[in-house]
Amino acid sequence: MTAVQTSTAAARPAAGSGSRVIPVVRLHFVNRFSMLVLPWIILGFIFLVNLAIWWIVMSAVSPDADRADVQEGLQWSGASFYIFVYMMVLGVQAIALTFPFALGFSATRRDFWLGTSLTFVLLSAIYAAGMTVLALIEVATGGWGLGGRMFTALYFGGDATPWFARFFLFFATFLFFFFVGALAAVIYQRWRVNGMLIFFGALTVALVGGVALITFSESWPAVGAWFVETGASGVVAWSLVPTGLAALVGYAILRRTTPKNT
Amino acid sequence: MDESRPIFVQIAELIENDIISGGLPEETQVPSTNEFAAFHRINPATAGKGVNLLVDEGILYKKRGIGMFVATGARDRLIGQRRQRFENDYVGPLVAEADKLGITRGQLAEMIRSGEGSAE
Amino acid sequence: MSAVVEVRGLSKNYRTVTAVDEVSFTVEENTIYGLLGRNGAGKTTLMQLLTGQEFASSGEIRVFGESPVENAGVLERTSFIKESQKYPDDFQPKHVFASAPWFFPDWDAGFAERLIADFRVPLKRRIKKLSRGQLSSIGVIVGLASRAPLTFFDEPYLGLDAVARQIFYDRLLEDYAEHPRTVILSTHLIDEVSNLLEHVLVIDEGRIIVDQAAEELRGSATTIVGTRAGVDSFVAGREVLHRDQIGGLASVTVGRLDPLERQEAAELGLELSPVSLQQLIVQKTNVPAKEFEVKS
Repeated sequence: MTAVQTSTAAARPAAGSGSRVIPVVRLHFVNRFSMLVLPWIILGFIFLVNLAIWWIVMSAVSPDADRADVQEGLQWSGASFYIFVYMMVLGVQAIALTFPFALGFSATRRDFWLGTSLTFVLLSAIYAAGMTVLALIEVATGGWGLGGRMFTALYFGGDATPWFARFFLFFATFLFFFFVGALAAVIYQRWRVNGMLIFFGALTVALVGGVALITFSESWPAVGAWFVETGASGVVAWSLVPTGLAALVGYAILRRTTPKNT
Repeated sequence: MDESRPIFVQIAELIENDIISGGLPEETQVPSTNEFAAFHRINPATAGKGVNLLVDEGILYKKRGIGMFVATGARDRLIGQRRQRFENDYVGPLVAEADKLGITRGQLAEMIRSGEGSAE
Repeated sequence: MSAVVEVRGLSKNYRTVTAVDEVSFTVEENTIYGLLGRNGAGKTTLMQLLTGQEFASSGEIRVFGESPVENAGVLERTSFIKESQKYPDDFQPKHVFASAPWFFPDWDAGFAERLIADFRVPLKRRIKKLSRGQLSSIGVIVGLASRAPLTFFDEPYLGLDAVARQIFYDRLLEDYAEHPRTVILSTHLIDEVSNLLEHVLVIDEGRIIVDQAAEELRGSATTIVGTRAGVDSFVAGREVLHRDQIGGLASVTVGRLDPLERQEAAELGLELSPVSLQQLIVQKTNVPAKEFEVKS
């Protein structure tokens, strides 16, 4: 938005950009523990639980053929999904709590959104890097010596994926969860429960409609083929479209939102 | 602070009282506006208005870069003013009321003397 | 003096209510303003409009000569402390004070530290677990130490005891004297702050009904108590602001009286008593006095 300038020079705000994009990023990171430490602790805990399960399963299953079966099943591990859900919660909280707080510190909505987006990108990069390293270790140690899969599950490209593709997969997935969480929170911040009902209602209608369309046009095989053809990296690359849309729509809504204090 | 009158007038009176009682001798520095404001918990602009009232009357004067000082002769002038006001505000109504009640000047003087005695 | 805030014909309509109704006023630089009124009169909405947090339905707002909406240059010179401020869930007071300097260019860390000691704010406790008064202290500290050229305090001291409130008034006056700035203080504890204010704005049902220097308001009303007949004959032909009656006694509030009128009233055997700013506003906004009493 362009401010209307008055003719009197004295009344004009002091020199200096006044932009608070970087302060907003620093604000998100001011409590380093919950942003950079706690998620790893929880991830570590889940990893240990999984490790114990793998060990129990592997000890209980003796013939090699059965073990191969089990390892086949472990490719579908959803254990690391929690971390994406955690990031979505961070995305929600960034809007529900940090947004009213940042405006209380006289930030503009524009600076808040830019700073928050930058924070999401930084966090996605940090956690994607960490998980890529863990995936490499997982491959190198043959699944932590137990054939376990947590960071190389099939939807993360299995174990034959190069490291940069892995990083991109994680990175884009994190971004998706951050911005979708933020968008939902923005809608709630602006229109409260009614907004939520309409948002999820519309989402459900769209999904059901899509499924119906595919079913009635008998295109499920074509859809399946598309997923196979596109591959994990390709599907995730496509996710950047809804992610980008969520970022743009989120800002468009936030620009006219008054922080709610109740 | 008295609710019925402007605060700056009351601040000016407080300073005047200090000058009359000798608490603020002539040619000494008076507290700054901000000190008055903090002490009486009032807006500094209001305190400044009270001080300026006395500057306008010549009771206080400003030394550039140092502060406010009590002018020479300020005490005598204030006492003169107060005496005049005393006559108008108290003696006038007193005499008028005494006349209404048929109290002679002699009786009035006697009452003041005995009132003085009983007050001791 | 120049105007820091200029408002012309400002309105804010919500679906069913008009929170701010065709309001016009200016706020002069380096002055302490009181924005007074009942709960729900429109004080908070007005301050949200002036800080670009709420959007006007119609009218014009100029803060430092520009629209405050999404204007970083204006907002970085503004500090808005509100009673209901939200904090991130995992925040401790130390996080608030660590991040404040990134947003307020005039932040004084030494002053903030002194205030933290004055108000005894625990730095390393979750904000969610703080008492109402401690929460208010955080806001008060941010508002004072940010030293923004335009500072809003919206009911800043819910839950603060009398001692803490006095500390707030003292620190505000001290710091204002050394670093003059424009302060807009909204409160219902009018008697406590009336001596701090230089100018008073009273808002009622979304309209500004008083816009006057505090010193002009002092003594601008007097209550006359006496027999009904005596009071009635004295106030005949005057504008009556408020009237109470018990049996044969009447208590009537009228405008300013000059010394002659006071003498006349005394001769009629009527009793005169000054009206405090709080009483005056209670009478003007026509509400039970208890709404302006301490709630803590």
